[in-house]
Amino acid sequence: MRIAVDTGGTFTDCVFLRNGRLEVLKLFSTPADPGEAILRAIREIASGGNSGVEIRHGTTVGTNTLLERKGARVAFITTAGFEDTIAIGRQARANLYDWLHTPAPPLVPAELRFGVPERTSAEGEALRTPSDSELSELLARVQASSPDAIAISLLFSFANPAHERAVAERFRDMRIPLSLSHEILPEFREYERASTVVVNAYLAPRMGRYIAGLETRAKAEFRGAELHVMQSSGGIVSAATAAREPVRTVLSGPAGGVVGAFHVARLAGFTRVIAFDMGGTSTDVSLVDARGPTTTNEALVSGLPISVPTLDIHTVGAGGGSLARFDAAGALRVGPQSAGADPGPICYGRGTQPTVTDANLVLGRLDPRHFLGGRVELDLARAQHYMDAARGTLPDLPGFAAGVVRLAEATMEKAIRVISVERGHDPRDFTLVAFGGAGPLHACALARSLRIPRVLVPQMPGALSALGILISDTVMDYSKTVMLTGAGADLEPHFGELESRARREFASEGLTGVAIRSLDIRYVGQGYELNVPAGRTALQNFHAAHQKRYGYADPRRPVEIVNLRVRMAAAAESVRFRKSAIRKGNARQAIAAEVRVHFGAKAARAPLYQREQLRPGDMFAGPAIVAEYSATTVLPPNCRARVDAFGNMVIDVS
Amino acid sequence: MKTSRRPIDPVELAILRSVFHSIAEEMGAALRRTSFSPNIKERRDYSCAVFDSAGNVIAMGDHMPVHLGSMPMSVRTAIDTLELAPGDVAILNDPYGGGTHLPDITMVMPVHIGNARSPLFYVSSRAHHADVGGCYPGSMGPCREIYQEGVRIPPVRIMQRGQVLKDVMNLVLNNVRTPAEREGDLTAQIGACRIGGDRLRDVVAKYGRPHVQRYTGALLDYSERLMREQLKRLPAGVFRAEDFLDNDGVADEPIAIRAAITLEPRSATARVDFSGSDPQCAGSINAVYAITYSAVYYVFRCLLSEDAPATAGIMRPIEVIAPEGTIVNARPPAAVAGGNVETSQRIVDVLMRALAEAAPARVPAASSGTMNNLTIGGLNPAARGGLPFAYYETTAGGMGARPGADGLSGVHTHMTNSLNTPVEALEYAYPFRVRRYGYRPGSGGNGKFRGGDGLVREIELLTDAQVTLLADRRKRGPYGLAGGEPGAPGRSLLIGKDGNTTELPAKCSIAACKGDRVRIESPGGGGWGDLALSGLSAR
Repeated sequence: MRIAVDTGGTFTDCVFLRNGRLEVLKLFSTPADPGEAILRAIREIASGGNSGVEIRHGTTVGTNTLLERKGARVAFITTAGFEDTIAIGRQARANLYDWLHTPAPPLVPAELRFGVPERTSAEGEALRTPSDSELSELLARVQASSPDAIAISLLFSFANPAHERAVAERFRDMRIPLSLSHEILPEFREYERASTVVVNAYLAPRMGRYIAGLETRAKAEFRGAELHVMQSSGGIVSAATAAREPVRTVLSGPAGGVVGAFHVARLAGFTRVIAFDMGGTSTDVSLVDARGPTTTNEALVSGLPISVPTLDIHTVGAGGGSLARFDAAGALRVGPQSAGADPGPICYGRGTQPTVTDANLVLGRLDPRHFLGGRVELDLARAQHYMDAARGTLPDLPGFAAGVVRLAEATMEKAIRVISVERGHDPRDFTLVAFGGAGPLHACALARSLRIPRVLVPQMPGALSALGILISDTVMDYSKTVMLTGAGADLEPHFGELESRARREFASEGLTGVAIRSLDIRYVGQGYELNVPAGRTALQNFHAAHQKRYGYADPRRPVEIVNLRVRMAAAAESVRFRKSAIRKGNARQAIAAEVRVHFGAKAARAPLYQREQLRPGDMFAGPAIVAEYSATTVLPPNCRARVDAFGNMVIDVS
Repeated sequence: MKTSRRPIDPVELAILRSVFHSIAEEMGAALRRTSFSPNIKERRDYSCAVFDSAGNVIAMGDHMPVHLGSMPMSVRTAIDTLELAPGDVAILNDPYGGGTHLPDITMVMPVHIGNARSPLFYVSSRAHHADVGGCYPGSMGPCREIYQEGVRIPPVRIMQRGQVLKDVMNLVLNNVRTPAEREGDLTAQIGACRIGGDRLRDVVAKYGRPHVQRYTGALLDYSERLMREQLKRLPAGVFRAEDFLDNDGVADEPIAIRAAITLEPRSATARVDFSGSDPQCAGSINAVYAITYSAVYYVFRCLLSEDAPATAGIMRPIEVIAPEGTIVNARPPAAVAGGNVETSQRIVDVLMRALAEAAPARVPAASSGTMNNLTIGGLNPAARGGLPFAYYETTAGGMGARPGADGLSGVHTHMTNSLNTPVEALEYAYPFRVRRYGYRPGSGGNGKFRGGDGLVREIELLTDAQVTLLADRRKRGPYGLAGGEPGAPGRSLLIGKDGNTTELPAKCSIAACKGDRVRIESPGGGGWGDLALSGLSAR
């Protein structure tokens, strides 16, 4: 039995198949020991010591460790003379116009940066090899600093890993996690590579303990249980790999959301998707075109470059908890400050500053009694009171609240434009898949202003990430910088080397995979690459891709093959989604009440539908509110919704 | 513009602010995406902006601070010189006609709505081009006259009724070293303008012309209010300061920049007067007025406690006086390539030193104050193909200590924010080997709060090459404040194969040999606060 578990800040969502039907279980998370909620969930699902449970886990342990800066004491070892590169970064500052801004300190303080007297050239030639006594001396210095983990990233280690291996050998006896750059990311650009390796080392002890602990407990309780972990790339890996290379799991949960959004949209007949996941403090958006989710090697998490393959997810610090206020010159601002979990929005009972959630409540777009299935009652009077006090020069409360909502939506709109319009995509070709607690509240308005023709609210908007994790393939990514000029280069030995490693690692977990080869290519002199499938037409494809992405191409200009990539994938056993029969209906059975809702400054009476009562084939029109356990959908006037055979709400906003 | 009695809605204002800003950002993204040269794509040395019908800037992307106040002048000059019709695009780079230095080429396009005769908006894109001709590859060398610095383009149409004017384009391309790359970048700039125009027409269609016009005006007023609110909270008085450039690379004499800032909180205005600054010089570090204006804009924008839209409104309460013929407002034919990169930084230092007296809790000590511009050119060895190469980089330094916090180490400050080139990228592309890249310990000035440390970057040449250096702060370190000590001055060294070390002048061009090493040690930031009074011991 396969169970996907996505651990979030508030809830632990589980999705699993029982008798061919997808089922969902939602539990409160146990942040002190996230595994506790997971085991509780599995007990509930696989009652009676069911054997052969496959647990697929989306975890926030890595992200949180990074965000809270609570990781290991890492010793960073690099080529002597370059110890500080990990701190210097790209020598640019984050805030152009703020003299007093201080960024978070680097993960490795000065006293934990160590240099080895060695050098390898760009061509892989060993120019200076460290002597035995130099290595012994290094070992002594590192030991004296008592680190919890070690990250080694020498210059040009990908061109010739001999020195890196020799250094690593000396540290095996310390019995602490070793992260080596030629294994984790054998690619050029020393800062980004070192940053990735250091993040790995920073997470390794904690993630290693967490995953090993969870696996042991699961195996003790459920015979034959297996633990797998979701990676940021949208593929699954074994617990052992995740524990060894935790840097690959930093965006585990959000990656599940993108895979899930793509999957439900494709089943519903839409292949181009913009995934829109709005939560309390942040919003993730991602674009999926017909070829599937796009990955990037330039992810930035908590200010740190992470260059292993990661789904291209753009995050903005705006969500339901974003604070609204007037600035010194009288303009309204929403965010970037957030009420967070404490004190939270006014309507949760402690906060006093207006948030986007309060504005939605005051406008009648959230039902105060049925929030989270009635588990939390929202205090409308309190929200009205404090918001009215904060409305500044605006004539009335609804006008203020509507303004807060519009500004929050303007921020979301910008975020979606960044991943679509700014990358050469036309939003009119896409479907907006809205999820997360607050996504469906704003999706229709957003779609309208971006001219996205339709919104899809999946059947389980609160568990989409877990669903994505359930259906993902097992994937491992391998790469190597080769920097070869011209078309005639023989790539076979390099690919052969990557693939034999891939097969070896897959075989050790009893898997056979399919290898997909690709190349990163650029014109000589350029500083960025495009990824195209390997093969005889690779160069042609490169010129075509360059034309599409950048508007021009020059087939006469010499090119460089920068990196080789192999993606080894083993398909997951496919999950059949049950299609229900469509029976035309008007959804009247789902109307629970009639509510007063403001759209813009105007109020209208609108039916409140219970999502759980909607049936495939039901059609209804806005204005309407659809409430369900973990989310609320707002249908503005002139939008038409239908429920499809999979239970998704497909809303035509044009 | 018609005025309405209805009050300005703070929500509509915020929405339009966000919309205009996103248009400028989208133009920038398009430029970065479609341009060819690493200077634009990787180092991000470009800016895009939106202007109202009178040429007031109403939105600018968060790109290059040195373009803040100078780009509007390019637009101003273009629309005063040419009557731009629908489908026209103007090009210019003349520092004595709206530009800054020759490598910065600006495009200006009018945006007409419907059949209107006059434009409702202008959009503009500017990029630093890797070469615009002249004596030295890279067009940043030690010249004496602007005629030696490259091709000088007054405002002319490069596009008319939607068609690129081939003769104008060819005239430009015939005067530069890498014409194919230039053509790609110039085309990308035109494309960015078109994207801005299309989006502005969408915005007018969506919100209606009267609404958009009304809130364009409101946006300028709003930014002005933000600045005035700040000026009201500063003390009244005249605050004076001076600082020096080491020399101009011709005569070894310091060059003074002096400023008097008059703050009047009652009228919420400020006047910045550079009278008393030294006359323009023979070397290439003269600043034109546009750069000086940008430096003032930058400093006052940083003083704001809220992030503010970069509009013309910000500068309404601020008057800038820079006498003609001085280092801060040079006249032709003075050479100006370094004014943009070096003198601009020193102008900021002078302004901050003056403001530190007025707002001691808000102003950091001096940062490194030089970009350490290094150009290395020559022929690749035969084994690498034998073709010519030209490499340009800047090295960051220490940030001045802040009141309440140490300065950051090894980071670009003030008027620039370009990225470094990775060592591993550099060694693939050029016949160099980097020997060292790291902090320069102890270079930050001591104080209650320490200045950030500078950097050390040492490059070994694997072939003979011409090395050109344009740097400053080699004699006087960046000043400290409130009793803090100055940061260490920078050094540039040539280390021969035999180990002989020569200190290089701040500005020079030398023939170096295979095996020589060029070592840049950038200045540390100034310290803040008296160490003795703070009760801390020296660190």
